[in-house]
Amino acid sequence: MSQAAALSRDSRTLVIDGNEAAAWGAALSRPDVVAVYPITPQSSLVEYLAKFIAEGKMDAELMDVEGEHSVLSVLHGACLAGGRTYSATSAQGLAYMFEPYFRTPGLRLPMVVSLVTRDSVTPCCVWGGQQDAMTVKEVGWIQMYCETQQEICDSIPIAYKVAEHADVMLPVNVCHDGNYLSYGVARVDLPEQEVVDAFLGEKNVNWHACLDPERPMAVDPLTGGAGGAGPSMFVRYRKGQCAGMSAALDVIVAAHEDWGRRTGRYWSPLIEEYRMEDAEVALVTIGSMTGAAKDAVDEARLDGRRVGLVKIKTFRPFPAKAIAAALSKVKAIGVVDRAVNFGWNCGPVFQEVLAALYALPVRVPLVSFIGGLAGADITPEHFARSIADTIRLAAGEQVSSPVWLNEFDK
Amino acid sequence: MSIAYDTIAFRSAKCDGCGECMKACAAVKQGTSRISIVPGARDGAFEMALCRQCGDPKCVMVCPAGALSKNAGNGIVDWAADRCVDCLLCTSGCAYGAISADPIGGRVIKCDQCGGDPACVGACPTDALEWGSAGSIYNRFGDKEDMFVPGLAGCQGCNSELIMRHVMRRIGRNSVLATPPGCIPGMGSVGYNGKTGTKVPVFHPLLTNTASMLAGVRRYYDKIGRKDIVVMALAGDGGTVDCGFHAVSGAAERGEKILYICVDNEGYMNTGMQRSGATPYGSWTSTTPVGDKLKGKTQDAKNMPMIMVAHRAAYVATASTAYMEELYDKLDRAIEASFHGFSYLHIYSPCPTGWRVPANKVIEACRLSVESNFVTLWEYTPEAGLRFTRSPDRPVPVVDYARTIGKYRHLDADQLAHIQAKVDEQVALLKRLAGEVSAVSAARAAAPEDSSTSAGAVPPPLRHETFRP
Repeated sequence: MSQAAALSRDSRTLVIDGNEAAAWGAALSRPDVVAVYPITPQSSLVEYLAKFIAEGKMDAELMDVEGEHSVLSVLHGACLAGGRTYSATSAQGLAYMFEPYFRTPGLRLPMVVSLVTRDSVTPCCVWGGQQDAMTVKEVGWIQMYCETQQEICDSIPIAYKVAEHADVMLPVNVCHDGNYLSYGVARVDLPEQEVVDAFLGEKNVNWHACLDPERPMAVDPLTGGAGGAGPSMFVRYRKGQCAGMSAALDVIVAAHEDWGRRTGRYWSPLIEEYRMEDAEVALVTIGSMTGAAKDAVDEARLDGRRVGLVKIKTFRPFPAKAIAAALSKVKAIGVVDRAVNFGWNCGPVFQEVLAALYALPVRVPLVSFIGGLAGADITPEHFARSIADTIRLAAGEQVSSPVWLNEFDK
Repeated sequence: MSIAYDTIAFRSAKCDGCGECMKACAAVKQGTSRISIVPGARDGAFEMALCRQCGDPKCVMVCPAGALSKNAGNGIVDWAADRCVDCLLCTSGCAYGAISADPIGGRVIKCDQCGGDPACVGACPTDALEWGSAGSIYNRFGDKEDMFVPGLAGCQGCNSELIMRHVMRRIGRNSVLATPPGCIPGMGSVGYNGKTGTKVPVFHPLLTNTASMLAGVRRYYDKIGRKDIVVMALAGDGGTVDCGFHAVSGAAERGEKILYICVDNEGYMNTGMQRSGATPYGSWTSTTPVGDKLKGKTQDAKNMPMIMVAHRAAYVATASTAYMEELYDKLDRAIEASFHGFSYLHIYSPCPTGWRVPANKVIEACRLSVESNFVTLWEYTPEAGLRFTRSPDRPVPVVDYARTIGKYRHLDADQLAHIQAKVDEQVALLKRLAGEVSAVSAARAAAPEDSSTSAGAVPPPLRHETFRP
């Protein structure tokens, strides 16, 4: 491993925003090549990366390219040559990146890209929301959603550990909410460089496919055709991709556990259950909204209502069994989304939870709450209303779904 | 491997009979010229009588004195004056009239190619004589490993396959090759279902991201100290000038150290001959068809190499397979430049299938494209600026080129005039970039408006019809 990037030992605790926390998480993971292109609300993240590299805190090639399409493309090349790679994007940048983005998991490139989630144009908007990340949930990237600045910083090394695992070999999006996490400032304890180095070990990102004159091969030749060996080869590739995704569930759990042992910070790897032991109704949340939701749950508990919460950290692969188990005993569920599913007129997380619950022997009623679009705040009051609606649902009342939380905000 | 020899080539269509070659030869040999330009059978045409340095020379066979011999080293038929008995049997044995008795002194005279720098070629003002060093290329690269399997599935006469094989033979195994979607991977170089047609690391980038992917490959190898790998593309014009343009432009702007070779067949030939931004005006393509209302493409081609000049890329050159020695020279410089900055080589590549050109006429189409200035051959570096590597002066009319290409079959006089005007305009612009202000335009600029003479214009050539051996 290269020598630079040794971080100063006397400033391990920082008060920083989520974008800087992501940049530190990336720097500590020692990527070889970092590609950057600015987009609100991600811009300061790539500025931090450029600054770290300029100051010698990070020994990476900085590729400040002409657009997100090339951001991911240069990383394809660098990864196939053998490098560890990192970038970050958001909304329109992700849309512009889509062509190589779609190709990345098929090439089994274990890269890490932060998504600073944002609502996507149009209606024209540059503020937080998760429509960008939710729109690409079927592309084959692993997606982990963070709740706090500290979790962002820690989740990036964890993401590399998962991505580069031989049973996985898939790209990971570490998602954090635009505005609320990207610009929100909090205390972050930086892990020691040696701890991250020992955690990640030696990288080997192109053992399966490489562009190296010492190991000449054709990378990604055509497959398929009308029948016979062509399509069956394609099927094996696709099936392998799905197997990698499935294997990632256990690898994600193990990586979080390993990280916890080394740093003392044990993050819930797939889902977090909050006050679920005796809960009769539950909220399901994802990302930074969870803090306010937990406050609302605590308030409801003080009023004697048995409310719990399940936060989703890993959304792809979807932890269906864990979700079903966590929600198996409640009488009603309210799922809060920061994005919409146009095809089903609900939130995308709602639809996933709905599908996961089909495994249960009993039918649990659900309601979809959609809030926090276009930078809107989902306050404890919004969550209190959501809890009340869910309790009404548990009581057998009709609740019209979806509920648009911020529709009448003044 | 047998040895091939360089030679003097004669293009009778370019010869105007001026006789400068004969003067130059006579001056160098201090006597009678060894080359003769004579009126040909066709009216106004000229033909050349010059020793062909035959592989099975009849002059050598008939010589009773052993004075003539084929030199295996340089291919020249040598004449040994001390052995010659002046019988002149050789002069009657030669079918080309190329070995003769000197009117002054009566001894045998014949061409010895001036040791590889023939005076006649240098003196020819119309490029009718050329020093063909293709033999040297064969000697240098003929036994180098072909980096592709023998059975690539290109169309018969495919110029792109010729380019691929030559380029990769020169570059060799220490390379990473990107072939974005198109004919080049499509003919089997990247391969199907786990089989590949290429011996070097090869991949399909997206049509849109070739230069970017390569830039990432190069950056990583540079970072770990493997700086001697040629990181390169063999890309079509569509992925270069259209949807992949952003990546090429960005890589050039950043000075990414890659070799980007654009194989320009003027359209999306692999997908069925649709128009691209590099398709010339008037071309029939499957998306610029010819009918009652539309008669081929209505816009001019984007000039990608000039756009690369505007990026001040480390090296920019155009090349044609009609001039392989020049192509190899440029390839050498392009490879070298790719270790220092963005290196761009644009090779024009007629497509027999998509252009409706017979397979055996492809190289002729290449040559006519250059001789008509439809294609100009030049190179550029930021330090040296732009220079022509083949003179654009005395072009043949562009119609001579267009009539060899089926996709221009429908062109009417107005369309041909448009193409000719654009060709002239392009050459004038390139000349300004090359710092060459033509004598005519300079004189025109200097002369009063009512001047009826174009002072400085090149005088009509003299016809030396009396020059005979």
